[in-house]
Amino acid sequence: MAEKKKVLVIGGGFSGLTAAVETAEAGFDAVIVEKTPFLGGRVTQLNKYFPKLCPPNCGLEINFKRIKNNTDIAFHTLAEVESISGQEGNYNVTIKLNPRFINDKCVGCNACTEVCPVQMPNEFNFGMDNTKAAYITHNQAFPFKYVIDGKHCKGKSCAKCVEACKYDAINLDMKPETVNLNVGAVVLATGWDLYDVTKLDNLGAGKIKNVITNMQMERLASPNGPTSGKILRPSDGKEAKNIAFVQCAGSRDENHLPYCSYICCMASLKQATYLREQYPDSKVRIFYIDIRTPGRYEQFYWKVKEDPNVTLTKGKVAKITEDASTGDVEVTVEDVLAGRKITEKYDMVVLAAGMVPSTKASRIPGEISYTHDGFVVPSYLKKGMFAVGTLKSPVDVAKSVQDATGVAIKTIQSARRSG
Amino acid sequence: MAEATVIKPDLDFVKGVIASGGESLKKCYQCATCSVVCNVTPDNNPFPRKEMVWAQWGLSDKFKGNPDVWLCHQCNDCTAYCPRGAKPGEVLGAIRKQSIQQYSVPGFMSGLVNSKIFFPIIFLIPALILLAVSGFSSIPEGEIKFIKLFSVEAIQFTFTPALIFGFAIGILGLMKFWKDMKQTGGVTSGNLTGSIVETAKEFLGHSRFKDCTVSRDRFLSHFLVVYGFVFLGIATAIGVLYIDFMHVESPFSLGHPVKLFGNIGAIALLLGVLLMIANRFKNAAKVGKGSYFDWLLIFIIFTIAVSGILAEVTRLADKAVLAYPIYFVHLVFVFSLFIYLPYSKLAHIFYRATAICFAKYSGREKPLKTSN
Repeated sequence: MAEKKKVLVIGGGFSGLTAAVETAEAGFDAVIVEKTPFLGGRVTQLNKYFPKLCPPNCGLEINFKRIKNNTDIAFHTLAEVESISGQEGNYNVTIKLNPRFINDKCVGCNACTEVCPVQMPNEFNFGMDNTKAAYITHNQAFPFKYVIDGKHCKGKSCAKCVEACKYDAINLDMKPETVNLNVGAVVLATGWDLYDVTKLDNLGAGKIKNVITNMQMERLASPNGPTSGKILRPSDGKEAKNIAFVQCAGSRDENHLPYCSYICCMASLKQATYLREQYPDSKVRIFYIDIRTPGRYEQFYWKVKEDPNVTLTKGKVAKITEDASTGDVEVTVEDVLAGRKITEKYDMVVLAAGMVPSTKASRIPGEISYTHDGFVVPSYLKKGMFAVGTLKSPVDVAKSVQDATGVAIKTIQSARRSG
Repeated sequence: MAEATVIKPDLDFVKGVIASGGESLKKCYQCATCSVVCNVTPDNNPFPRKEMVWAQWGLSDKFKGNPDVWLCHQCNDCTAYCPRGAKPGEVLGAIRKQSIQQYSVPGFMSGLVNSKIFFPIIFLIPALILLAVSGFSSIPEGEIKFIKLFSVEAIQFTFTPALIFGFAIGILGLMKFWKDMKQTGGVTSGNLTGSIVETAKEFLGHSRFKDCTVSRDRFLSHFLVVYGFVFLGIATAIGVLYIDFMHVESPFSLGHPVKLFGNIGAIALLLGVLLMIANRFKNAAKVGKGSYFDWLLIFIIFTIAVSGILAEVTRLADKAVLAYPIYFVHLVFVFSLFIYLPYSKLAHIFYRATAICFAKYSGREKPLKTSN
């Protein structure tokens, strides 16, 4: 039998992990290339996720375990694909590995973080707090290995971390490396970014402190987030007990995202439960154009709607202002069913921002065509290339995983066809 | 048990709105962004979201006696922020056209004036009338005097009745509109004098235009056109005074008050209408290119301003071959402006003023303090 064909998976989020694990467990070699220092993608940033509303680890941990136990899966973090050429059965791929500055000897003792003098905005928490240049995103991160941010680290002139590390795990001399791979098939799983809400000039985001995005809300509610899971508003740390959710913040809008982002209604309903469970006297009002809870999710909608402290109002919020003296947020909307334009004050406002395929901003090298909105259309892909999950359309975790499993079989067929 | 409401859609109304620049009507999905970004709508039953669904469903009765479509000043903030490109600003403009047709009798006249097919004919008929009145045979000899083409009597005999006709139809329409608004709104009493005074004040200062965001520059253009006409009206009034009572023969010298008012008015009018055209092109991507209904009025005003100024210039330059025909064109368009006053977009001077006045009278907008 010919040598085992490799499959390249670009993106180490839930979709990419699934595609790689399923492919490898069917007997093919899989290589995951992940841009960030850790695997798990967007799901790691959530507090809870559908359909079971369990924390990220309940699904991720099993996948990390499958990776650890399977010698057929390799993964590169801090890695970017620089070029892809060739055809099905014979793709040549160049991968740039950016330095982590921390090697496998790291035991995760936190000593480097403690001595590091550099503060930088914590991207994992969407800038809601700071982190050190030597850091780990959270206590369940995988690989459980710290990382030093090359852009912010002062380098060898500082090197306090090198001294502090008892395990000889830090090497500030690490340089970028290039790896060349020959693979039979390529899975595109680079996921999604949150829509840049600062483009919504009438919704005050980016300017009004207590207007946050739905992903920031996930971090606020998450036990490993900036407030250790307490839902406190950014301006003054006050308990945010009266929150408005603004649906379709960018989605279904030809001036922004001309499609429904699929997950935001469910996300807001879910986040309403975070608040209601945390503060029994809290109040939530969700402003929507249409509540879209596809398939069986409808039942979750009914359940949330039953709560007398959750109000759902038809009408798109189109104006948000700040009460500078209190930090409260004023929301103006037409209550469509009542036929009244109302302005109400809230402790905090959550913008249910939409999903943008990551390929809108950063294209994957290779002959890949995109829609105007940056999505990948599978039928336009070259043979031996497959797109997964949110790269094709906004979709939830469960559907992404199902999709990735399906793509695994196609990848295997492709590898065998050419092998 | 709730009674069933049978909706009878007026499909002709829907088609009319779509044909008059509201072709984006059906794109609306009732998100109400428009009602929120609109700075001129009242908070209670705000427009234009409800008008969009009424128009989509062909509920033409809802527009009977509805002041809201006229409270809209087509700032187009709604259109700029509309997530669907449904262009509520344009749609309400198209509904206003329908409303003019409903109130300015006879209804078919509005259809005629605002239909592309009749574009040349609506100016040809006034031209023939004026040609007949002037008894034109050849271009007059000697020093250029427009009274050689049209005597003062001929002008007064044709233009005064035309203007009176325009106003009479307009006033008739606004009275009917007022009655309908009172009935629809269930309004029986209010402060009429105070409302009229407030409306006049608002109009003189053009204060409502300043609430627009996207097309704020419309304030200046509209202001210039309105006051251009006001100055030209004053010039005409003084002219009539001098000619009829002091027996001074036109043309007046350039330093004469008639010329002073006239020329200032003409320049303001031209600048205003040019700004209007420029703004429409500048904002086309954001707010739409405007309908025939809209452009027709701009075309008439533009032609009046340009032909008026050119007639004066060619007269002073002693170019008879140019001056008389240009003057004739000028008269044709002024005459058209007068007779089509209640049917063209210009009819908004009646209906918008009435709607604003009613909104104050009925308390639809911030109620007046005194109630005597």
